[in-house]
Amino acid sequence: MSGPAARRHPLAGIAVAGVAATRQARSLDGNSIQICLEAARAALDDAGMTIDEVDGISARWPGPGGTVFGPGSVDWTAVFGKGFDWVGDTYPQGAPGLLDAAAAILAGQCSTVLVFGGRAGESAAGSPGAATRATVPSGDDASSAAVSSGDDAMSAAVSSGDDATSAVASYTRPENEFVACWGSLTAAQFALVAQVYLHRFAPDPERMALVPATIRNAGSANPEAVMYGRGPYEPADILASPPVAEPFRLLDLCLATEGAAAMVVTGVERARDCPSAPAVILGGGSEWYRQQYVDPPRYDDVARIGAGAYRRSFGMAGLRPGDVDVFELYDICTFEVVRQFETLGLCAEGEGVDYLAEAGIGLDGRHPTNTDGGLLAYSHVGWGGPTLKIVEAVRQIRGAAGPGQVPGAEVALVTGAGAGAQYHNAVLLGADR
Amino acid sequence: MQPPDRADRALTGEFWAGVDRGELLRPVCGRCGRSFFTPQVVCPLCGSGRWTYEPSAGRGTVYSFTVVHRPPEPAFEAPYTLAVVDMAEGWHLLTWIVDCPADEVRIGMEVQVRFTAGPDGALLPAFAPRAAAHGPAGAAA
Ligand SMILES: [Zn+2]
Repeated sequence: MSGPAARRHPLAGIAVAGVAATRQARSLDGNSIQICLEAARAALDDAGMTIDEVDGISARWPGPGGTVFGPGSVDWTAVFGKGFDWVGDTYPQGAPGLLDAAAAILAGQCSTVLVFGGRAGESAAGSPGAATRATVPSGDDASSAAVSSGDDAMSAAVSSGDDATSAVASYTRPENEFVACWGSLTAAQFALVAQVYLHRFAPDPERMALVPATIRNAGSANPEAVMYGRGPYEPADILASPPVAEPFRLLDLCLATEGAAAMVVTGVERARDCPSAPAVILGGGSEWYRQQYVDPPRYDDVARIGAGAYRRSFGMAGLRPGDVDVFELYDICTFEVVRQFETLGLCAEGEGVDYLAEAGIGLDGRHPTNTDGGLLAYSHVGWGGPTLKIVEAVRQIRGAAGPGQVPGAEVALVTGAGAGAQYHNAVLLGADR
Repeated sequence: MQPPDRADRALTGEFWAGVDRGELLRPVCGRCGRSFFTPQVVCPLCGSGRWTYEPSAGRGTVYSFTVVHRPPEPAFEAPYTLAVVDMAEGWHLLTWIVDCPADEVRIGMEVQVRFTAGPDGALLPAFAPRAAAHGPAGAAA
């Protein structure tokens, strides 16, 4: 962030001024509107703002109630009792949601955007939320299936120790024509990619299991994590967990929980007046190779997905992957963490497992990763999941991440989606300096 | 699961109608001659809308596979083997490997189409190891 590359990309004029995550749990009372509203209000509080100052909103509409019309974000006008100058329904979460909001602000369409998402009351069969959601023909079901490779049964299994008898009906499942008929599930789509990698490079299973064990131990130490207090995990625990979709075992795969996350995006000048130090956007980018879960992913097509998004992100920032202090990577499964480090170029293809075992991804390692426990052990809440990554990155940059804090963290990388979904995205956040 | 009207679908009905009678069809472009899958309004390789369903020889190799132990719906009886099969004609699809113990499925294994009933009774184009596949290419099991 200094030196000859001091001419900053315009994105550096945009910051995250407020973040919030609600309580995360296997299931929550109430409905998705209520939990989203709770997160949105908390993020505004964190930014020291009220809704009056917000002129852009990016959330879609999870129901219950509302219309079937798009953009669904407009339905929030009735909840907040006010209109907005800009709504972002394209991908209202995580890195793309943040980058779309930043683009809207830079294009003069609005000045402050509230981005939020999450879910509640949907994990129990027959809940009002689940019923409403099922009747909304907006594709939201497919979207939330896409970002969630775990399921309620998985989290139930892990927390109760009774994986054999837990319900399977809640496994996230792509519903597309040439996917659903085979009984595929999101975890299987990622497994199809990982199998080719294992076939070609045959990484040591114990070393590979060190990745989820380390991330799960971070979740174990995070009082806000759904899996708080579980563990500690050794690679042997990962390898002893029951298979779900080979090569993935239960503890290789993320949660599917409930809760919400939100962020307030605004110009860096305005953000400097907020109670907390701004987290500035240093760079970001996306890659959309194919629609998720329509055609099966092929390793040779998607193994390096994200490389271009990373290159653009680091180019904007004038940084290299080695400059990142903390990695909040999309850990939908063990393999994705390895793949993303390889795609970042921190090690060669096929060497990720050995590289990470030697470099370390814990707080004491060279590349502290998923310091809140990630999707594996903190939470994964559909549309809110990718935004949870940004919440943790901003807290890290503020020095307010609690037990998972990386001392002096100034540069955080947040990623979203992965090879099994055939799209990927990234954003670099940094301290304002 | 397959809705009963799958053979009436606009773009893919002909494919499913073929499956129903034990015939594997593939979109073949009338301009560039190549096969593609899933079916699209135009050939994604050259942009031509002039394509037709042609018979496939049903021969392929396993590109990747995963043994599923936790089905998304109880109707699917685990374990079963999902696979991406690369067809000799240059297209690929998600499918099942059948008539082969799960621990004997290998990447690169040669397979032949074998029509198999899904959980709702409707036929699906699955694949079996060529050594285990009987009958002429593309024939119904
Ligand atoms: Zn063509």
